[in-house]
Amino acid sequence: MAEQASDLIQHRTISRPRNRFNVSKILLTLFFILLTIGFLFPLYWMVISSLRPDGRIFVDAFELFPSILSLDSYNNLFAQEPFGRWIINSIVQTAGFAITALILCTTGGYALAKFKFRGRNLLFVLILVSQMIPFHLLIVSLFLMVIQLGLVETYFGAIIPIAASPIGIFFVRQYMLSIDDEMLNAARVDGANEYQIFFSVVLPNARPAIATLFILFSLEYWNNLLWPLIVFRQAENMPLAVGISRLINQYRQSYDLVMAGSTLATIPIIILFLFLRRQVMEGLAATGTGLK
Amino acid sequence: MVVFLIFKVYPVILAVIMSFQNFQGVQSQEWVGLTNYQNVFNLVRFNQALANTTIYTIGTLLILIPLPLVLAVLLDSGRVVQSTVFRTLIFLPALTSLVVAGTVFRLILAEDGFLNLFLTSLFGVQPLRWLEVSDLALPSLILVATWRWTGINILYFNSGLVNISKDLYEAAVIDGASAFQMFWRITLPLLRPTTLFVVVLSIIGGYQVFVEPFILYTGGGGPGDGGLTMALLIYRTAFTSFNFGTAAAMGVILAAIIFVFSLIQFRYFGVFSKED
Repeated sequence: MAEQASDLIQHRTISRPRNRFNVSKILLTLFFILLTIGFLFPLYWMVISSLRPDGRIFVDAFELFPSILSLDSYNNLFAQEPFGRWIINSIVQTAGFAITALILCTTGGYALAKFKFRGRNLLFVLILVSQMIPFHLLIVSLFLMVIQLGLVETYFGAIIPIAASPIGIFFVRQYMLSIDDEMLNAARVDGANEYQIFFSVVLPNARPAIATLFILFSLEYWNNLLWPLIVFRQAENMPLAVGISRLINQYRQSYDLVMAGSTLATIPIIILFLFLRRQVMEGLAATGTGLK
Repeated sequence: MVVFLIFKVYPVILAVIMSFQNFQGVQSQEWVGLTNYQNVFNLVRFNQALANTTIYTIGTLLILIPLPLVLAVLLDSGRVVQSTVFRTLIFLPALTSLVVAGTVFRLILAEDGFLNLFLTSLFGVQPLRWLEVSDLALPSLILVATWRWTGINILYFNSGLVNISKDLYEAAVIDGASAFQMFWRITLPLLRPTTLFVVVLSIIGGYQVFVEPFILYTGGGGPGDGGLTMALLIYRTAFTSFNFGTAAAMGVILAAIIFVFSLIQFRYFGVFSKED
């Protein structure tokens, strides 16, 4: 592809004077540099605002490159809010959610791909259709169910009701269709039982799909607000997103704390992303869910 | 599978049933037929939320389709140095929690926030009260959406562009086609499936917008309910006013809207016909 692209460029250079082409290349790149600065600016602003001394967020707002940096906001955040708890909650709940969702996707997707059973097609269509259901239709009934099950304020209540991901099941199913039936039959002939086949043949073969989904599920829960907001009322049980959202309301506007918290919630994700860039971006393009 | 049935199928049925009931607290309910639906459509706030959400969705479509499309084409043209770096950096906002996006923009859009300082000192305009004027509520929300979704949509368009054969462009260059002609006659028509996919995704996402107004307007509908969206109204009806029946009815209406758009998606992408 790169070769073809450079062919294309050569065609152009033939038809136009060489320096004009270079000018357009420089201008376009410059344009994208400016655009990118614009897109990154809010993130920069978040970090820089979180580092301003106590009470200076608005006073110093026009100092693009502040001369005095301080960790006041971070100290206040940990002193005034159970922020350490929020981080732990977020990590535990995110891992729990991603693992639960993966178990459901892999078993469900495998069953749909490799086993024939009554109602399979109906089930598959149901799963596809359920992808269209807006979550807001479910919140009331899920909330009542969680109350009846006694799961309010629990990690289980936050994770289980949203762990069945239709798009995840669909994605795993499509992936598992490509696993050769001969391989499974060979394992059966060798005397492997169904559990052994699933764990030592199917799962290792689906590793790329599983890794991609694990990353996407983690990102989804880490950034999720609505459902944890409904399940948790006690500050010490909340994940980061819910905790941070509580720092700004009609009665208080703790921008300093919010910016510090947002920075701490965002920067690790961005660093992780830079390592896993290909997998995240290709996974997103493949599943086409969009992030929430 | 069982979990799927319990937490997806059962709640839908429950929600539809609830939309026909009147709730007195959590335990007691009675059948009220279509009353909830009548109430919903008589609610001024619901109609405003429906209008707001629709305008918001159209607004995001008008920006978040052409802009990422053109950017993706430019980045793919081989005339931008280090295009992958740009793609990655513009994608970064998509990684932030919507809560973070909301709070950062609340700070930037505040009356004495950065945007106003910037506009005032550069163009000398009066500070705009972005978060306090009803008419500016939707533009503010669309601005946040543009920031957060452009990178993802570039990604979608890019994966569509990769599938277009470069031979077509070479042939066009030989035939003396201009860059604009190639974009209009080759790129756009061949990108149609991708474009349609992104459009439908944006419509579905747009109608469900919740977190952005929730954060920008601290849980309310914003000034004069200018930023009130359907999802926000459902949340507030259920968990602030505890009108579960009415909230369920609104949920059904929202679901119906999204269902129609999703059906269009399935029809065009042939998911049903492709299987089996």
